[in-house]
Amino acid sequence: MDPYSAEGELINIHNAFHQGQHREVLDFDVSSLSSDNALPARVLQLRARLALGQADDVLADVQGETAPELVAVGALAEQARGNTDKAVAAIEGLAKGDAGDNATVQVLGGTVLAAAGKAEEALALLGRHQGSLDAVALIVQIYLQQNRTDLAVKEVAAARRWAQDSLLVNLAESWVGLRLGGEKYQQAFYVFEELAQAPATSSAQSLVSQAVAELHLGRTEEAQAALDQALKKGSEYAADAIANQLVLSVITGKGSEELLSSLQKADARHPLLTDLAEKSDLFDKAATKYKAKVAA
Amino acid sequence: MQASSGMLTKFESKSSRAKGIAFHPKRPWILVSLHSSTIQLWDYRMGTLIDRFEEHDGPVRGVDFHKTQPLFVSGGDDYKIKVWSYQTRRCLFTLNGHLDYVRTVFFHHELPWIVSASDDQTIRIWNWQNRSLLCTMTGHNHYAMCAQFHPKEDLVVSASLDQSVRVWDISGLRKKHSAPTSMSFEDQVSRANANQTDMFGNTDAVVKFVLEGHDRGVNWVAFHPTMPLIVSAGDDRLIKLWRMSETKAWEVDTCRGHFQNASGCLFHPHQDLILSAGEDKTIRVWDLNKRTAVHTFKRENDRFWVIAAHPEINLFAAGHDNGVMVFKLERERPASAVYQNTLFYITKDKCVKSYDFQKNAESPTMLSLKKLGSPWVPPRTLSYNPAERSVLVTSPADGGTYELVNLPRDGSGAIEPSESKRGQGNSAIFVARNRFAVLNTSTQTVDIKDLTNNTTRSFKPPVGTSDIYFGGTGNLLIITPTAVHLYDIQQKKTTAELAVNGVKYVVWSNDGLYAALLSKHNVTIVTKTLEQVSTLHETIRIKSATWDDAGVLLYSTLNHVKYTLLNGDNGIVRTLDQTVYLVRVKGRNVYCLDRAAKPRILQIDPTEYRFKLALVKRNYEEMLHIIQNSSLVGQSIISYLQKKGYPEIALQFVQDPATRFELAIECGNLEVAVEVAKQLDRPKLWSRLSTEALAHGNHSVVEMCYQKLKQFDKLSFLYLTTGDNAKLSRMAKIAEHRGDFTSRFQNALYLGEVEDRIQMFKEIDLYPLAFMTAKAHGLEEECQSILEATGLTEDQLSLPTFGEPLTPPKPVVPTFQANWPTKATSQSIFEKALLGQVEGLSLEDEPAAANGLGEAEEEAKRDLLGEPDEDEDAAGWDMGEDIVAEVEEGFVNVESADAGGAGSSEADLWARNSPLAVDHVAGGSFETAMQLLNRQVGAVNLAPLKPRFLEVYQASKTYLPASAGLPPLVNYVRRNVEESDPRKVLPIIPRDLEYLASHDLHRGYDSMKANKLEDGRSIFKGILHSVLVNAVGSESEVTEAKKLISSASEYTVAMSIELARRALGTPDQVNQNPQLLKRSLELSAYFTIPKIEVPHRQLALLNAMNLAVRSRNYNSALSFANRILANGGASKILDNARKTKAQCERNPHDAVEIEFDQFAEFEICAASHTPIYSGTAYEECAFDGSKYHTKYKGTVCVVCEVCEVGKHGSGLKLFA
Repeated sequence: MDPYSAEGELINIHNAFHQGQHREVLDFDVSSLSSDNALPARVLQLRARLALGQADDVLADVQGETAPELVAVGALAEQARGNTDKAVAAIEGLAKGDAGDNATVQVLGGTVLAAAGKAEEALALLGRHQGSLDAVALIVQIYLQQNRTDLAVKEVAAARRWAQDSLLVNLAESWVGLRLGGEKYQQAFYVFEELAQAPATSSAQSLVSQAVAELHLGRTEEAQAALDQALKKGSEYAADAIANQLVLSVITGKGSEELLSSLQKADARHPLLTDLAEKSDLFDKAATKYKAKVAA
Repeated sequence: MQASSGMLTKFESKSSRAKGIAFHPKRPWILVSLHSSTIQLWDYRMGTLIDRFEEHDGPVRGVDFHKTQPLFVSGGDDYKIKVWSYQTRRCLFTLNGHLDYVRTVFFHHELPWIVSASDDQTIRIWNWQNRSLLCTMTGHNHYAMCAQFHPKEDLVVSASLDQSVRVWDISGLRKKHSAPTSMSFEDQVSRANANQTDMFGNTDAVVKFVLEGHDRGVNWVAFHPTMPLIVSAGDDRLIKLWRMSETKAWEVDTCRGHFQNASGCLFHPHQDLILSAGEDKTIRVWDLNKRTAVHTFKRENDRFWVIAAHPEINLFAAGHDNGVMVFKLERERPASAVYQNTLFYITKDKCVKSYDFQKNAESPTMLSLKKLGSPWVPPRTLSYNPAERSVLVTSPADGGTYELVNLPRDGSGAIEPSESKRGQGNSAIFVARNRFAVLNTSTQTVDIKDLTNNTTRSFKPPVGTSDIYFGGTGNLLIITPTAVHLYDIQQKKTTAELAVNGVKYVVWSNDGLYAALLSKHNVTIVTKTLEQVSTLHETIRIKSATWDDAGVLLYSTLNHVKYTLLNGDNGIVRTLDQTVYLVRVKGRNVYCLDRAAKPRILQIDPTEYRFKLALVKRNYEEMLHIIQNSSLVGQSIISYLQKKGYPEIALQFVQDPATRFELAIECGNLEVAVEVAKQLDRPKLWSRLSTEALAHGNHSVVEMCYQKLKQFDKLSFLYLTTGDNAKLSRMAKIAEHRGDFTSRFQNALYLGEVEDRIQMFKEIDLYPLAFMTAKAHGLEEECQSILEATGLTEDQLSLPTFGEPLTPPKPVVPTFQANWPTKATSQSIFEKALLGQVEGLSLEDEPAAANGLGEAEEEAKRDLLGEPDEDEDAAGWDMGEDIVAEVEEGFVNVESADAGGAGSSEADLWARNSPLAVDHVAGGSFETAMQLLNRQVGAVNLAPLKPRFLEVYQASKTYLPASAGLPPLVNYVRRNVEESDPRKVLPIIPRDLEYLASHDLHRGYDSMKANKLEDGRSIFKGILHSVLVNAVGSESEVTEAKKLISSASEYTVAMSIELARRALGTPDQVNQNPQLLKRSLELSAYFTIPKIEVPHRQLALLNAMNLAVRSRNYNSALSFANRILANGGASKILDNARKTKAQCERNPHDAVEIEFDQFAEFEICAASHTPIYSGTAYEECAFDGSKYHTKYKGTVCVVCEVCEVGKHGSGLKLFA
């Protein structure tokens, strides 16, 4: 039986992970799991620790392990520490062998490759999955990053046929929905709100997601409330929360400089900052093309 | 014993065969006449037997209540008709005359008449006021089984075993007996008597119609309450429907179905239905219009003999072999749902309506559900989805169906649902905004469906599930007959379970933290995790419940509205005269639906439960408020407080000293207790006080008590224990005075005074003891003197051996000096407040509306007065520059991350979709945006637009955290949220026109008034930049935008002029230099030219006028003064102008010649600040419209700082 299915042992820890409840994942009692599920649970917990920023510890934890899953976790940890090349090399090594058929390796490898900008390679690796919702979600995200919304829609529709009402499918559908817009905004909002507002499933991630959906729906006050809640939740996804708060703040006509500096502090490598810097430069370059005929 | 599923039995009694039934028109009473000669009076609501009347001899077949009087009538096999008073509980009189069994008796609806039918083949009409027989109607030639008055007309209908139904006209009888008032009593009597003696001329009551059609005896017949219809039931097992006109009557149709004698029948009082009962043990319901069977209720063993309907409410009763049952045909609970301030409900004619609690207004019909289910089955539940504005309705028809319908956006007119989704199910509720759950009890499955009615998942609920309710996000409450389960939909398992029997309804509190589970006689309050908080039992059936905002549950029983707090404290709020279903509590109003599905408002006094709630929450201010503003304080509340362990609070209310004392003792408030004890001065109180005080270690109070009680022993001991030797010796003295030797001895012992003891022993001739004492303490001399006194020698005594003499311990600590320290009990806020700070507490929150008004006024005032708001001024402009500084620092190319993509992002689409510069900016396509601006308005100096560019760009994208380990997903924020066509989507624009007009513009005005011109100029330039890179929604907004641009431009020019004047130098420097003075005066004059708002122009004029006066340019000053006066406005400025005018008119000459012709038309060159007289050539900025001398052509406009002067583009495009 699929351990991630609704009746499986791992459903709760798996859901908690994807709901962004990383601390709950760590608090999860894994001792009672059957031996088959111990490793996947450990991988989830390691990934949760990575998400919590404990890359060094995780790396130490999997040092010397030979199970392909753990090697992949190691690669992910390397990536988190900024050693992208090393990580990619490790994954490419795994992908060549039989380990490439291992669902966990696919997901972790896909993450590493996608984060390294090797989207096509990531898709190739993930494409080998067999009924892994994690892989589907990742594929959807990569398609969206590539602005291939059409492919993402197809992927979700296909997954929905065999995966019923599972969390990841709902999430992936909502991600796509936020791209599609219109009525889909509202539906995405429902999914995020349901997660974010139920105490059992609420997390900074889902709150930020809810806020983003609200923001797209033009409900700025509600978005602000959700972001405030998210920031209260703790440091996870704080950078994203601040980034979105910045966007919100600009939209509502308030200043952004304070948030810019706090974002700088939270995550200097946040896409918003890098993107903005690039655009600023672009502006300066473009502006030089124009000059008044007569200097004043 | 349940007759049939679907029948809603409200009451059943066990007795011998019931032959006659009558409902009381107002009270929940039913009379039952039995075959055993008894008449029973039942309260069917409470299920109690109120009374029994046993005077008939043999079976009693007919009974009837009088509509208004406390009377009822009965007729039996003893040939007698008896009239009873149920108040005095006895038979008032008996009407004799029938010669055989009396079958039925009925009161007339307005006249003091009774109609009876008897086996003697006659129908008789009696007057119960003068107890006489008015009329005997003969004609039937077999037993007359039933006779009834028509409810309105002067008709009687009768049924007989001669197989006929007869309709009698009794108008003659009425004429005779309700004669004009002028007729004397004697006349009436004589006429009545005359009639009675009339043997054959039965003119009073004549047969109007004889209805023949039954081919066996007819057992029962009844008129329709409003229509000219008659229904009859006969031994031929048929129910026949008859219609009559003025002149004839005919059979309409026959209802076939009973397979034994039909014994009774009637018309439904409100609906087009016929009910019949028969010896085949069934009650059948027929559609009056189609004459088809609607329901059949079968009873196992009992044949039905009689059926009756309540005249007002939807209740019926049927008598059978073993008693009576009271039932209704359909549920009367209107299906309803509450969302925020709106109630959605289904009316009796199956229309969805809403009710606004704030406006107290009903909406017109929003939706008609006529097609849902069968016409005679009302919908059972309604679940509302606010997001989709749709309702989910379930109906028990066809084994349970549900229907999902969208409400129309604008509720008007009876609208047939345009599109609905339906399916089989017993319960259906929304569980999330896009999911609903459907329970099918027969297959025992729960399906979770999406809004398109597709099942997304399904599962088996716990065994025996009878109903489901919303259980909080992602959860269901599953109801089984013995338990409630909290079921997690995602995990497909029960997460909590609580054993509660027979839950029927679940009501969630407004904050979603608690739920009330209602069963027939119990209310159980649980948390959202299904932990029981409290439970209570009601003997009367519980109908509905709703939560107060403060977390108090109000529930209704059949006859009360009650409340319960979370801790289970409950009480009655008010009584009800009819059953209602509570939906909402707001302040003193309880909103409810009555059985006719009409919203009603009940007034309640929430004081009691609010007070109790405040008490539980220790919200003392609220309590104080309640105490001060209501007459709450009575014995009940005091005893409540005491019982609940709040004696200290109760103490505050009580005046009666005895109670006060009790409370003070209970809460250990010694001060109050002492005070009251002094007042009352009763030994019993003192002794209780002493005990309490002792426990507190408050020995001074204890001392006082003992003193009052004259308990010397205790007092002494107290002094001993507290080490108060001085008082002990005084006690010894007192004891001596009293001659109480025991006490003296004791005190001496405590004090360790041996001599005193010996002395005392001697005094009371206890020489042996005195000797012993002396001996023991080694007082040999004393021993000797005792021996001498007694004349004995030591040898003659046999002495025990002595140990060391005991001395009482010496007190180490002078405890007596102070009470034992106790932990200071701080006065509660409540007590403090009560003791003196009461005034400080504010009563009610100021109404918010008033606040809002106040603020608005304040703002208006500020506008007028021109008060500066520095912080705000600074924000708008500085922000932009900061951004520039920061982004220039680090440049990282993230292009690679996006580069691999095979598609184009939405940002690219924006640029493609729109010809507006701003949309290109938002899409990050700065180059094309600049091109556009250059082409449209000749923008050449783009640097000042950078903050705006980046602002627009920043607002365009959100960051959605998705899979762990990957960067967030970028999404593009749209301004047309509803749009999903990629060819039409457009980006959101921060600080749109409306925002600029309502925020930045006003900030600009404020800085003008506050004389902060530097700031003001930046603000207006900022506005210009923001409008330049912007978009609007319509053509009319384009005009507005143009207005905003020119206004901002004028202000910029005006402020620049004044700033230039100020830059000339200090006033002294200027005054000394005629050149500068001239320029200064000119600039001040030019400052008055730009078209700025009038109040601001007044400021400029005032400024110019004052400067002119100071420089003795009276002519110019005069012109400014005139313009000020012409403009009007603030009186202070006007007064000033008037004075100046008077002063200047004396000498209207200018001391300094300036280039300012007050009569000429001119505009000001924005760059040189010199006049451009009308008619001369000029250049202007294509964007902001500022004017320049021709020599400035080709330079950058100084107003907007962006465009090239004189370069004419295609014009700014703000709307595509």
